[in-house]
Amino acid sequence: MQLDNIRIVAKREYLQRIRSKGFWIGTVIFPVFAVAMTVLPSLLLMRSKTTQKIVVLDDTGRVATQLSAERSKTAPPEPREQVRMARIEFIREVAQPDRKAQEETLDQRALDKEIDAWIRITPAVLTGTPVEYHGRSTSNFMTQEVLEDRLTEAVRRVRLADAGYDPDKVGELSAKVDLRTIRVSKEGSRAEGGAGGFIFAYILFFMLFLSLLIWGQQVMNGILEEKGSRAVEVIISTVKPFQLMMGKLTGICLVGLTQFGIWLTTMVVLSAPGIVGSLGNMPDDLKIPTLGPLVALQFLLFFVLGFFVYASFYAALGAAFNSLQEAQQVAGTLGILFAIPAILMPMIINAPSSTLSTVVSLIPLFSPVLMPLRMVTEMPPVWQIAAAYLLTFGFLVLMVWICGRIYRIGILMYGKKPTIPELLRWVRYS
Amino acid sequence: MTSNLEVRDVRKSYGKFAAVDGVSFAVPETGTIFGLLGPNGAGKTTIIRMIMDIIAPDSGEIHLFGRKRGAAELRRVGYLPEERGLYPKMTVIDQLLFLGEIHGRKRRDLVPAIDRWLDRVDLAKWKKAKVEELSKGMQQKVQLIGTLLHEPELLILDEPFSGLDPINQELFRDLFHEHRKQGRTVILSTHGMELAERMCDHICLISQGKVILTGGLREIKRQIGGNAYRLVAEGDLDRLQGLPEVEQAVVQDGVVKLLLRPDAEGSEALRRMIEFLRIHEFRSEEPELEQIFLKAVRDAA
Repeated sequence: MQLDNIRIVAKREYLQRIRSKGFWIGTVIFPVFAVAMTVLPSLLLMRSKTTQKIVVLDDTGRVATQLSAERSKTAPPEPREQVRMARIEFIREVAQPDRKAQEETLDQRALDKEIDAWIRITPAVLTGTPVEYHGRSTSNFMTQEVLEDRLTEAVRRVRLADAGYDPDKVGELSAKVDLRTIRVSKEGSRAEGGAGGFIFAYILFFMLFLSLLIWGQQVMNGILEEKGSRAVEVIISTVKPFQLMMGKLTGICLVGLTQFGIWLTTMVVLSAPGIVGSLGNMPDDLKIPTLGPLVALQFLLFFVLGFFVYASFYAALGAAFNSLQEAQQVAGTLGILFAIPAILMPMIINAPSSTLSTVVSLIPLFSPVLMPLRMVTEMPPVWQIAAAYLLTFGFLVLMVWICGRIYRIGILMYGKKPTIPELLRWVRYS
Repeated sequence: MTSNLEVRDVRKSYGKFAAVDGVSFAVPETGTIFGLLGPNGAGKTTIIRMIMDIIAPDSGEIHLFGRKRGAAELRRVGYLPEERGLYPKMTVIDQLLFLGEIHGRKRRDLVPAIDRWLDRVDLAKWKKAKVEELSKGMQQKVQLIGTLLHEPELLILDEPFSGLDPINQELFRDLFHEHRKQGRTVILSTHGMELAERMCDHICLISQGKVILTGGLREIKRQIGGNAYRLVAEGDLDRLQGLPEVEQAVVQDGVVKLLLRPDAEGSEALRRMIEFLRIHEFRSEEPELEQIFLKAVRDAA
């Protein structure tokens, strides 16, 4: 009967929400928004990606010849990804004896939009003086960054040659050394991408965090609404507050998971051709990290469990407060609590099996993020994983029980903001 | 005899205020309408909420259907709270299915039952409408169906007629009487004495958290009844209260409802009244519940 009631309440909650227009609007709008936020800026940038024409006046007569629009293989790694987006066409022109007149003409050409900018490389550049950039726009930071990169390389080659070294040889000799990581585990050694599995733990964390931003509020509202609807008095006489809380939490969380499921499926379906296509272009030294099916399943379990545990905090707020405004003030600070695992993550990655790591990964509030992280860095003993599940689940039940207690009293006390001592008293007796 | 409901020495305090102060009463098993009566703030709703396990008593016991009250017993009760409420966004049919299910009924049994009920109260064509689209009167009907749908053996109604239009009042009253005729029991909590007088077989009078009188309405009336009179007279009616025989005198539209002390003689009282009143009518009559109630409250104090 206990489970029956939870099921009935959860079913009502789930169906009501799935059928609402709001759910579908949210389900469609959010991805559209997310895509717009990530794809649009780079799309716009792509469109603005015209080749910048830069006139080069070389007083040294040696740097300009080394200057090329493309990077050589031996150049140091590019400072920023976006640098690839900017294209430069160098136009070498002979420096005239009348510097002033030539510069004025160049300025005029820039203003006439025939060229975008001009630079002059003086001999002092070889000893560290900056190169002056005269352009119509000085906010095109990407072009400037590429330009700086190219100039650095060209000047470096000239300096090396001056010092009696072969620039090509030096480039070859100072090539970067890569690290290929192989994880040793009981299942056998196997090569993995350097970024490794803990990428998944970060994804897990961000998914949890994101889903709570959306659904934590929903849980809180749902429970506040229940109090406001006054339907609760009839319900609470046959459905105990614990069952009601558990039912509502389950129902709303399942709606959240459904939404996630929809997004994930859509994403996979839409991007599948893209992934296959891009596999061909993938650099050889980059391996896509993978998860074993068992670990993947555990990630899913921990995600669901974490979702419930975190949502239960919002449920408690919904149970304790009478109005949305009051509850929201406190809800904001919950985010800080949920960010703690993120602060602990680097520590775990560095020393996955230290005593401290073991202890924090067993704390119910942190387990859902930190235990999976330990699994992908260094597999913890089975008992610890089992303990994490048990403790987290036990904690969840305790939270719901407390919510039920608070709720039971809260529904019959209107218009009064509860104090912390009052809440504690409510929990102790009902 | 086992009772449908037995409340034993139940207490509930809020801080220093004793809302319910050692209340005991029993509701007989046979089909009756049992009135839980008292003024506003007497503690009726608190008692009902404790019966329904919505709030926990500080002490005392509650038995339903001869057993200590548990979840299974509560599912056999139909409860209509004073504060009505349905889920506004739910359709009528979903709402009723939900209420039926949490009372332990199966969906397949509920569907035909809901259709019958909706037909009966003329709401069949609103079955798929959302509750918020319904008029207030229609919502009240839906709520009532929700209370009766699972065929409860005991109905607990907290001020069921408040806010009802006359048509719905009649509908509600008919359904409650029907329920009693089927050999089931109704507990009716109200502060309206006239209404209780018309409907109840048994009563329990509550004042300031205490039971001040309980029993069958007939017996109570018989016990006190010998000394109730109806008086129509002119003169200084205020002096009536000063007579040694008079327990209570209530003036209403020129008619005085008199309640004499149990040992007083009607003829003796009449002899005294003639001295200062011109009497048109003086006759023995059944006391009204209101009189009984006022007397009981005074006796208790």
